[in-house]
Amino acid sequence: MDALYELIETLLPFAWLQDDFMKRALITVILIAPLCAAMGVMVVNFRMAFFSDAISHSAFTGVALGMLMGISPDFTLIVFGVLVGVGIISVRQKSTLSVDTVIGVFFSFTVALGIVIISMKRNLTTGLHAYLFGDVLTVSGFEILGILALFLVCLAFFFFYFNDLFLLGINERLAKSQGVRVRLLEYVYAFLLALVVTVSIRVVGLLLVTAMLVVPAAAGRNMARSVKGMFWWSVGISLVAGVAGLVTSYHYNPPAGATIILIASAIFIISQLYSIARK
Amino acid sequence: MGLAANGVPENGLPEGVAIEVRDLHVSLGGNTILSGVNALIPEGSISALIGPNGAGKTTFLLAIMGIIPYQGKIVVRRGKGAHNIGYVPQSLDFDRGMPVTVMDFLCMSRQRGPLWMSRSRKQRKLASEALQRVKADHVADRRLGNISGGEFQRVLLAMALMEGPTILLLDEPASAVDRNGEHLFMNLIKSLNEEKGLTMLMVSHDISMVTRLAEHVICLNHHVLSEGNTADVINEQTLSACFGEDKGLMLHDHHWGQDLTCAFDPLPEKKPSSKEE
Repeated sequence: MDALYELIETLLPFAWLQDDFMKRALITVILIAPLCAAMGVMVVNFRMAFFSDAISHSAFTGVALGMLMGISPDFTLIVFGVLVGVGIISVRQKSTLSVDTVIGVFFSFTVALGIVIISMKRNLTTGLHAYLFGDVLTVSGFEILGILALFLVCLAFFFFYFNDLFLLGINERLAKSQGVRVRLLEYVYAFLLALVVTVSIRVVGLLLVTAMLVVPAAAGRNMARSVKGMFWWSVGISLVAGVAGLVTSYHYNPPAGATIILIASAIFIISQLYSIARK
Repeated sequence: MGLAANGVPENGLPEGVAIEVRDLHVSLGGNTILSGVNALIPEGSISALIGPNGAGKTTFLLAIMGIIPYQGKIVVRRGKGAHNIGYVPQSLDFDRGMPVTVMDFLCMSRQRGPLWMSRSRKQRKLASEALQRVKADHVADRRLGNISGGEFQRVLLAMALMEGPTILLLDEPASAVDRNGEHLFMNLIKSLNEEKGLTMLMVSHDISMVTRLAEHVICLNHHVLSEGNTADVINEQTLSACFGEDKGLMLHDHHWGQDLTCAFDPLPEKKPSSKEE
């Protein structure tokens, strides 16, 4: 890890990178931003922003459960988020309810449960701030390894299954007729998305995770003329917003997560104007 | 293909039959959509599947493709490639604002590498050829959401053709298409059938299209009401039983101009076309 710090110091000798925690924050953002962008392309394709919102808000309950049971809330946050994600897909596949309704039910139940748990013990509310708003400056070297592992797994998944997923997002029946294993793919995707969402809460907080997924991808959609273009625009915008947000937050103090989203939103507005002008 | 050594048809399929359906039952969500359906789809010719809305026509196609659960027996004659059956769906419902080009769409299901890396040159060439075949090469780099209904239907046909199928299933191929596009599409279907001897099964609401193109017709309304040559099946009695009292709309559908074929007149004798093995 020290070698990596030295490398960063040589390549990027900026004042804001002097402290080790800032170096870790940068590495985290560089890993998480493209991960969210890539997942975001799928979220926008599937029109599943509400789904990722349900997972991020369920994280609230995951944290509460962890605090209540005396288990590491970072761990219960992830486990609970994954259970909710996979649970939603499972119920949707088996019932005739629309996906919005299924998600709405899960969302309401989990958040209400979380609020009840929080109110059971007085001191539970103190640790919540970091989860609501993100706290990228306290990421540890160990957590970075975990994020890197997730990055690599998702990279492999996007290498082999991106096309199938995209086709599935366009039309399920057509995908099935082309031999895509729709049910399985939906589960794996939900599982990975839940992981990305819960991990990204570290950077932008659970209130803004969906924005981290959707805004760069929406901007990329406006700028691009092909699938490849949309993918790389989204990744690029996400990285620019991520790093710019981090630096701005360092110099001017607002929370990093919210700053990143504000910058991404500004880029989105520009992209929207561009797309209107292009017509 | 053909007979095995002991004289039994391969697959159990009789000669000249591409698809055999025996006692097909499909229920979805507690409703019986198809019950006791028996049909034989002849090889190398165009067959049509007609019936009112909700009759189970699309379900029939989905069962043949094996993508929905069913009870009963469906045997499909094997072709040379892995993908025997090509499917041209009814116009798709999708997000028209997505920056997916026609090329992206065609290469998507076929290339190994992900679209965000590159498009395979080989697949692009195949896609180009398929688009040329369906007279839609001019839309290759246009967004899927930016092409007409007729062009999109032809792109779907190109996608199905890229798999090199021996059997083509088409679901209401002209439902979202304007008159000219419809004409073009129907001529394409006819020429593909003549050129490659493709077996085609077409779901259609358009009786005049059916009488013009199809040699074999199946009348479906949860079960098969009638099956046979077009001339035998398309008559007032059968259509009445199939569609109910609104048959007047079907029988007087004269928008084919010169080539009009009224369902009341006996069809001209069809010459058997010589098809290469």
